[in-house]
Amino acid sequence: MEEVKTYIPSTLKEALEIKSKVDCIALAGGSDLMVAHKRTLGLTPKFDKSVMIIRNLKELRNIYINERGECCIGSCCTSAEIAESPLCPWHLRQAASRMGAVGLRNSATIGGNIANASPKGDTPGPLYLLDARVKLSSVDGEREVPVSDFIIKFRTIDLRSDELITEIIVPLSEDDFDYIFWHKVGTRKANAISKITLSQAIKFNKDDTVGDYRVSATATGAKTNRSRDVESILIGKKITPELIEDVIKAFDAVISPRAMPEFRREATRRMIRRFLTESSKHPKDKVIDTYDGYHVTGQPEPRRK
Amino acid sequence: MDTKLTFKLNGRSVSINTDPLRRLLDVLREDFKLTGVKEGCSEGECGACSVLLNGRMVTSCIIPVGAVDGQEVMTIEGVSETEGGKLIVEAFADGGAVQCGFCIPGMVIAAYCLLKSNPEPTEDEIRLGISGNICRCTGYDLIVESIKLAAKRGEKIWKK
Repeated sequence: MEEVKTYIPSTLKEALEIKSKVDCIALAGGSDLMVAHKRTLGLTPKFDKSVMIIRNLKELRNIYINERGECCIGSCCTSAEIAESPLCPWHLRQAASRMGAVGLRNSATIGGNIANASPKGDTPGPLYLLDARVKLSSVDGEREVPVSDFIIKFRTIDLRSDELITEIIVPLSEDDFDYIFWHKVGTRKANAISKITLSQAIKFNKDDTVGDYRVSATATGAKTNRSRDVESILIGKKITPELIEDVIKAFDAVISPRAMPEFRREATRRMIRRFLTESSKHPKDKVIDTYDGYHVTGQPEPRRK
Repeated sequence: MDTKLTFKLNGRSVSINTDPLRRLLDVLREDFKLTGVKEGCSEGECGACSVLLNGRMVTSCIIPVGAVDGQEVMTIEGVSETEGGKLIVEAFADGGAVQCGFCIPGMVIAAYCLLKSNPEPTEDEIRLGISGNICRCTGYDLIVESIKLAAKRGEKIWKK
């Protein structure tokens, strides 16, 4: 076996050059990789190929709004940085603020969360909802892929061996919608792996018909679920109880939860029903979620641009 | 494959020649004999191995030591020498927060981070601040009370 080497580049350019020559795995926060490769107490984790530590690459730690008004997040930004950033979209901030606990959120990165391609990952749900893209860089250039295509299936991503995930670009935010919803069902408030998480957003036309509706579900299948076909049931129509049941039924056919399927299906149905029913009443508050604890109805903090 | 790594540890610059994939936790305990850093779950969830990396709390069991090259690390040994750290340690003793003590270094670090960013935390904010630190003895209430005590006693320190 080839010797496992560790590279610690100090610039992105250097990192991409290493990537072009060596087949190595990029390690950012370590919250997935160090655990996946751990051995026992006191022993060094064992990797079967070379590792490149990119945690401290400054080029990958910026959050800014580009000239098209899209939120651009460096792939090595931590969950804490995203949760605290007034530039990041609301759904994503909610998800980031409920990942692991305080210490872990200072290590875990958004790039790593996507690359891990776990169906229970916290950030893909909001990223699917808001049509986010990943920017992949190599010495030959850059390309952008929708997050929903980049994650091919369980633990499989569309990344060449010479590429690095460098940026996540989120074109939409809560400003594009009238009502928003995010709820994570976990067994406890902190350190909870999602049992099911639902992200939703809706925008109404002037005549009260639905202009845009989106729903994405985490931990309900082999990858995050979202379906344009299901969402289009509502587009151009006024919300009625019958139409809500049509959406619920259609989304139920999209998801494929394995463990505790009936619980996950029922929780999904209820959250969709709740959001659509409440938003059709046009309440004052933009955030619709009535659970005790972290999130209540209210106004999101305004975003700074 | 050993690599030379240089970083700041509890305020002084240190260098070490080692495998950069070794866990920061192991390097701190074995090479620097800083045994206040404890290993609990080994998965970044229990908080016993918490240290400060560039001023932010992290779990050192999931950080390869190569990732702290050029950075600043502070362990409980360093924190408990600071004005705020001393005050938390005293408050923990006076408030009866400690039973077996295994989680306490991590708890003190969590309390230190919390009070630095939020000098007057509510009870909910305290519980959120230590939500990544698991204690199997006290049921948390005395720890929460002790952090309240530290906040009150240290008003001037935390608001600096």
